[in-house]
Amino acid sequence: MLKHTRGQLIAGMIAAAMLQVAHAAAWTLEEAAKPYSGTTIRMVGEALPPLEALSKLAPQFEQATGIKVEVEMYEHSEAVNKVQLDLNSQRGRYDVIIQPHREMGKFATNGHLLEIAPFMADAALRDPSFKPEEQLYQGAWKEISWYDGKMYGFPFTVLNMFMWYRSDLLADAKEKDGFKAKYGYDLAPAQNWDQYRDIAEWFNRPDQGLYGTALQGKRHEALWYEWLNFLYSFGGDVLDVQSGSQCGPVVVNSPQAIASLDYYKSLLAFSPPDSLNYFWDDVMALMQQAKVAELIMWNDATYAVAVDETASTVVGKVGFDIVPQGEGGKIGQLEGWTYLIPTYSKNPQAAFLFIQWMMGYDRQLEQHLNGGASGRPDVYESADVQKLPYAKASMASNEYGKPKATLPQSAEMTDILVRELSSSLAGEKSSKEALDASAKEISTLLGSCAPMSYPAQ
Amino acid sequence: MTSLPVTSNTSGKTRGAFLLDRGVGPLLVLPATILVVIFLVGPFYYMVYTALTDLSFADATRKGAFVGFDNFRRLMRDDPLFWNSFLLTLKFVVVAVAMEFVIGFALALLIFKYVVRQRLLTTLLLIPMMLAPVAVGLIWRLLLQGDFGMVIYYLRAVGLLAQNAAVLSQPDLVFPAIVAIDIWQWTPFVTLVMLAGLMSLPRSPFEAAMMDGAGPLRIFLDVMLPLLRPIIALVLLLRGIDAFKEFDKVFIMTGGGPGTLTELVSIYAYRVNFRNWDLGYGAAVAFMVYLVVLILCSVFYKAVYWSAKPSSGLPAGAKP
Amino acid sequence: MIDRAASRPWTAFAWAVLLVAVVVALTPYLWIVLASFKTRVDLFSSAPKWLFSPTFANYPAVFIGKEYWPLAINSLIISLSSTALCILIGAPAAYVFARADFPGKEDLFFFFLTTRMAPPISIAVPLFLFFTSLGLIDTIYAVVIAHTSFNLSLVVWMMRGFFAEIPKEIDEAAVMDGRSRLGAFVFIIAPLAAPGIAATAVLCFILSWNEFLYAFILVAFEGRPLTVGIPGLVTPHGTLWGQVAAVAVVATLPILIFTFLVQRQLVRGLTFGAVKG
Repeated sequence: MLKHTRGQLIAGMIAAAMLQVAHAAAWTLEEAAKPYSGTTIRMVGEALPPLEALSKLAPQFEQATGIKVEVEMYEHSEAVNKVQLDLNSQRGRYDVIIQPHREMGKFATNGHLLEIAPFMADAALRDPSFKPEEQLYQGAWKEISWYDGKMYGFPFTVLNMFMWYRSDLLADAKEKDGFKAKYGYDLAPAQNWDQYRDIAEWFNRPDQGLYGTALQGKRHEALWYEWLNFLYSFGGDVLDVQSGSQCGPVVVNSPQAIASLDYYKSLLAFSPPDSLNYFWDDVMALMQQAKVAELIMWNDATYAVAVDETASTVVGKVGFDIVPQGEGGKIGQLEGWTYLIPTYSKNPQAAFLFIQWMMGYDRQLEQHLNGGASGRPDVYESADVQKLPYAKASMASNEYGKPKATLPQSAEMTDILVRELSSSLAGEKSSKEALDASAKEISTLLGSCAPMSYPAQ
Repeated sequence: MTSLPVTSNTSGKTRGAFLLDRGVGPLLVLPATILVVIFLVGPFYYMVYTALTDLSFADATRKGAFVGFDNFRRLMRDDPLFWNSFLLTLKFVVVAVAMEFVIGFALALLIFKYVVRQRLLTTLLLIPMMLAPVAVGLIWRLLLQGDFGMVIYYLRAVGLLAQNAAVLSQPDLVFPAIVAIDIWQWTPFVTLVMLAGLMSLPRSPFEAAMMDGAGPLRIFLDVMLPLLRPIIALVLLLRGIDAFKEFDKVFIMTGGGPGTLTELVSIYAYRVNFRNWDLGYGAAVAFMVYLVVLILCSVFYKAVYWSAKPSSGLPAGAKP
Repeated sequence: MIDRAASRPWTAFAWAVLLVAVVVALTPYLWIVLASFKTRVDLFSSAPKWLFSPTFANYPAVFIGKEYWPLAINSLIISLSSTALCILIGAPAAYVFARADFPGKEDLFFFFLTTRMAPPISIAVPLFLFFTSLGLIDTIYAVVIAHTSFNLSLVVWMMRGFFAEIPKEIDEAAVMDGRSRLGAFVFIIAPLAAPGIAATAVLCFILSWNEFLYAFILVAFEGRPLTVGIPGLVTPHGTLWGQVAAVAVVATLPILIFTFLVQRQLVRGLTFGAVKG
C-alpha cells in the first residue's frame, strides 16, 4: 500500500515539475496578486501550533504580494461559535475561516461558502504548479473540504488518531518474559484488540503509578472521537453511507457497534480512576508524565509527547502504530480542519491566493514540523519529517481514515452520542440501551432518509 | 441602630411630590429605562418571538417560519432531557442554597459573637465569590483532577476517598461535588450578609426577652429569626436566582456528565442554542427558565417584601 | 444572645471553626497563585508540592510571548467605561426611586430586577444580531452598552437604598438655598452618598470584568478581554496550566484591591442596601 503510493507520488511530482517549467513564465504570485495589493484579509482558526506557524509565515506572503494577513486565534469551541455567528449575520468580517469539517454541511447547505472551482479555473489566480488532485491525500481532501460533490477548500490539518505505546516498556526483557509466561505469546505493540487489552492489563499497576491505558471518558467530543476508532475497527458505523455528506440508514446499534462499546468499557478497568472526567488534555498529561503504557491519541498531539523535552518525560520512549485491527480491518476515524472562503468575504480572490500559497510544499513542511498535520503526502516523505518517530504511523493512518457525518445535523448527532456513551460508561445504561437510544434519536433527527437498520427495544 | 431595613418613614406621598417636580422625576429615570428597554427588553421579546418559530442556524430548510406553540408542546410533552435537567436544577438550587444558608448563618453568628475586628476576616471571605466564573471552573478542574489534583490527593490521604476512586468520575459523588463547590463559592456571601443583618439588630427586643427569662434558644427562635426575616428572604432570593442560572463552573468541570448527572438546565439550553443552533426550540427552553424564576421571585418578593409597602426607600418587612 | 461577652473555651472553639472556614475559602486561590510559579513538571507531580523552586517564566510567556497584555488593557477599558456609564445613568434613576412618586413606580422598580432573571444565553443571539444591524458589532461600544444595560438593575436597586438613608431635610434645605432639584442632587446628595456610589461602582466593575459570554460574542479579536483569552490556553496539545494560573492571578488582582478598599459598603451593596455593613 505504502510503496504503491510512493510510486504514484513520484510520478505525480515529475508531472507537476514539468508543468511548472512550461508555465513558469506565465504565472507568478507577484503578478497574480497585483490587483489585490494593499488589501487586508482576515482569518480565524483554533489557537494551536499550526496556526501560530501560519501567522509567522504570513509576513512572507505580505512581502511578496502586498496583501496583509490578519490571524485571529481562539479556543476550539470559541472559534466555531464565532464563525457560526459571523456567517449568519452575513457581515463578512472574515475572508478565510478555518473550521472542523463536521461544520461543512451546516455552512454549505445554508449558502455560507464560496465554491473553489471558479478560482481554480481562473488562469489569473491559479498557480499551475498547485495540483491538489495529485498533491493531496485524495480521500481526506474529499471528506474534509468537499460537500455533496462540490469543492469548498483545502485541508488545513488532516487529523486522525492512532496507538501510542511506551516502547521502552514493551522492549524490556523482564516484561517480555513475564508477559509471555502469562499470555502465551510475545509482547509487542498490539495488532488486534485482544492483544491491546492484554497489554493494558499486564502493565496496569496503579500502586506504582502506571496505568495500562487511559480513556477519554468525559462528556465531551473527545469521547466520541475516541470511540469512533473502536466502532470502525470493530466493523461498525454510525450511518451506512460512503461519504460524510450522505444521509442513510442508522446502524449505530448494530451488533458490531454494541460489541465495540462493550469492549471499550472493559478497558475502564485498566484506565485511571478519573477516566470518566478525562479528555485529551488529561490523557496527554498522563502520557507526558510516563503514567500510561498505551492509548489511542491524536496525530497532531504527538509532537508534545515525543519531541518536546520541556513538556514530556518520555521523549524517545514512545512508539506509534495504527489503531489495532478488528472485523473492520485497518481503519481509524478521520478528522480535519479546512480552509474555507465565506460567501460574504470582501476579498475572496486575495483569500484564495493566500490559501493556495499556504498549500505549497515549503509552507506545508514548515507547518508540519511545528506541530501541524499536512494534507500533502510529499511532506511526510521529506527527510525532516521521516526523522519524527510518528511519521510512519501518521502516513498509514492518513490512508485508512474513515469519514464521519458532515451533515447539517452532525453537531446534534455528536451531542446525542456523547451523552449516551457517557451514560453507558457511568453504568446508567447498558451498551445496547445506550446505542439503541442513540439510533432512535438520530433516526428521528435526520428524518425519512435515515431509517433504523436494527430494531431498538 | 434602629429599624430594618433602613427607611426614613417620615415621608408620605405629598412630600415626595414636593421634593421632585413631577416632570423631573420620570425624566431622570428615562435614560436608564430606555437603555434597558432597547438592549435587554428588545432582544428579550425577539427571543420570545423566536420561540414561536422554527428558526435554526443549522438546518437550511428552517428559516424562521411561524409555528405557534409547537416548540412549547414539544418541551412539555416529548422532552425528558429538559425535564431531567429542570428537576436536577431545582434539586441543585434547593440543596446548595439551603446548605449555604445554614453554614453561612452559623459562621455569621460565630463572627458576630466572638470577633471584634472583622475587616480582614470578611475581606478574605469575599475572595471565592469575586473570582471570574471561568477561572473558578478551571481552578476546580485542576484541584479535582484524578491523578494530579491537590484536593483529590488529600482526600485520599485522609481516607475520605478510596485510592481507586475519583470525585468527578464517580456517579454518586459528582452531584454532591458540584453542590459542594457552589457552597465553597457562595457560603461567604451568606455569612457576610447575615453578619451585616446581625450588626444592625436593635437591642431592646433582646433585653426585653432576657428580662422575661427566656433561654438562648427561645431568644434565637422568637426574637432573632423574626427580626432577620427580611434579610433571610433577601439572601435566599438572590442566591436562588443565581443558582438557577449556574453555568460556567459546572460546564467547565463536568460538561454535564457523566451521562446527564450534572446537566443543569442552563447547560441544556447552551447545547440546544450554541451546539445544535436550534434557536427556535432553544428560545422556548430559555423562556421556560425565565418564567419559572420570575414566578418564584414574584411570589417570594410580594409575600415577604411588600407586606408593608412604604412610599420611599426600600420596602420594609420588619415591624419597627 | 445579642451580647458579645463569652467564655474562653467557646471563643477558642469559634476561632478554630472560623480558621478552618478561612483556610477552606482561600486554599484553592492560594494554590493557583503557587501554580502560576510552577514548571509543568512541578504542576503534575503526584504529591502536591508546596515548596518548589519557583519559575517566573509563566507570566512573560503568556503576557508577552502570547501577547496577552493588551487583553488586560481591554478588560480595564471595558470595565471602567461600563461602570462610569452605569453610575451616570443609574444613580439619578435610583435617586428618583428613593424620593419621587409617580404612577407605576414600584412596578418599574421591580421591572429592573426582572431583567436579571433571564438566562444570559437566551438573549445572546438576538443581541448579537441587533448590534450587527446597528453596525456596532465587534466594537468595544457594543460590550460596554451590553454590560451597562445588564448592571443598571443592580445600580438602581443598590443606590435606592443608599439615597433613602439620607434625610430628606437635606434636599429641602438645599432647595431653600436656591439650588435647583438637579443641582441639589449633584452637589449635595451625591457627595453624601459617595461611599455607597463607590461600592456600587466596584460591584459593577467586578461584574463587567468577570463577564464572559457577551464579551466573547460582541467584541472583535483585538478588543477581547482576559476572560475570553483564558480558554485559549486550554488546548488539545495539553493545557498550559501555569499560564492559565498566571492569567487568573492577574485577572483577580484589581478585584482583590477594590474589594479590600470598599469591603463594608460592598456587603451592603450586595444586599441592595437592605442592611448596614
